[in-house]
Amino acid sequence: MKLKITDIIALSPSIRQFTLADAAGALLPTASAGAHILLRIPGPERVWRNAYSLVSSPEDRHAYKIIVRRVEHSRGGSVWLHDHAAIGEVVEAETPQNLFPIPRTAQKHLLLSAGIGITPMLAYLQVLRKPFELHHCGKLEDAEAFARLLPATPNVVLHTSRNTLDLEQLLAHQRLGTHLSVCGPESFMDVVLQTAQNLGWPGAKVHKESFGGATGGAPFVARLRRSNLTINVGSDQSLLEAIEDAGLAPPSLCRGGACGVCETALLEGIPDHHDHYLSETQRACNNTIMPCVSRAKTPELVLDI
Amino acid sequence: MNKSRPLYKPFALDLTGREHLVVTDQSEPPVTLDLTLSNISLWNVRTIAPGIQAPPAGRHRAFRAVPEMHAFLTHHLARASVGLRLYALGSEPFIWDTYNIGSAAGLTSAEMFLTQSGPPRRRVYCCHCKTMIGDVTQTIALCPGCGSSLQVRDHFSRRLAAFMGVKVDAEIPGDIPLPELLAS
Repeated sequence: MKLKITDIIALSPSIRQFTLADAAGALLPTASAGAHILLRIPGPERVWRNAYSLVSSPEDRHAYKIIVRRVEHSRGGSVWLHDHAAIGEVVEAETPQNLFPIPRTAQKHLLLSAGIGITPMLAYLQVLRKPFELHHCGKLEDAEAFARLLPATPNVVLHTSRNTLDLEQLLAHQRLGTHLSVCGPESFMDVVLQTAQNLGWPGAKVHKESFGGATGGAPFVARLRRSNLTINVGSDQSLLEAIEDAGLAPPSLCRGGACGVCETALLEGIPDHHDHYLSETQRACNNTIMPCVSRAKTPELVLDI
Repeated sequence: MNKSRPLYKPFALDLTGREHLVVTDQSEPPVTLDLTLSNISLWNVRTIAPGIQAPPAGRHRAFRAVPEMHAFLTHHLARASVGLRLYALGSEPFIWDTYNIGSAAGLTSAEMFLTQSGPPRRRVYCCHCKTMIGDVTQTIALCPGCGSSLQVRDHFSRRLAAFMGVKVDAEIPGDIPLPELLAS
């Protein structure tokens, strides 16, 4: 679908909120809290497909809102949105998908976010019906921007220093019906998930959103055996993007290594797994790969595609 | 194969838990329970029989009867923290009543473990007058509520922790099968 940028608000020097409406003025598909949208952002050489969580109210079908941090050394999507996108610009987008829905059986929600991982939580806060507690960790320079977006209630806590959030203490004293939802950078989520696991949290009560999985890496060559194609995967693109640039359209959904939709059989080569989908055993087999985030340890990979 | 009949695994601790609460309507704890571990509590009905190792003080409670235990369990779970694992051992109605108390307190099926033990005695729910009948060992059972003769079907409700009892000649009046002992 085609979306038109109808408003841009600078929340801080590096964080902007974009309002997107249907280019033809139609109502947008309903997107439940936690959903993300995939924008096709024109780059100098190719089109980026970047996922952004929606922060708008799920009931608002007139516009979607996203909050984007300008990341200097990234692949270019956020820089384009910050430096080139203007009000009135039309961007191509995919229908929103939700891989981080609100756990409906929770009696209480414990929401933990860091950095730009606050975005799905902003959608959550507008529709949660059960008690919740939000702890957000961020840099001091972003605190003011986030504080303005969050309700000023005792159950919403902003942490600008690592020392003020005692994860062990927090996770050790949650009543039985509590579900934990986490969003933020990989390192933050790893610490939270590991702490939760150490304290006996069952997987069924821990929910996480994966953010910005595809970070690039060393270039490599992929041979697509069934398509009889050899492609170069550049340092600033994912294997999935390189496959798409070659004209193929393999199934994909989250593009962050979480959903498993793009799983592809690997015939030769050793993958550098970056996904959260495969089990340790599956990883060790080296016979399957998530091309949206994973790369190569060998100069070449051969895929059954 | 009857899909409504739950399958049970032998008792074993789920070591991913931080605290373990084992409740049983029997007088003895499961033989494989290592009560020397510091994060295990055992609740049973009546006192622990002589010769059975007692858990450390404060980690064991003996109740006079199941309703007293279940009332205390509701109270206890409302104050418990995520990380707890709940194990119920005993009769089918007891373990499913326990499961439902745990569910209401917010425990998921990944945090509760049920093991059936003891003789096959069924709790039967009269579909006609809603009366619960305990300790049923044979079909046909007489409903003390409405006086119907009930056929005890192999249909188990986890929500009610009971088997379905339907008037035995409901389909063809007067067509009454021979009573049978319930094997399980």
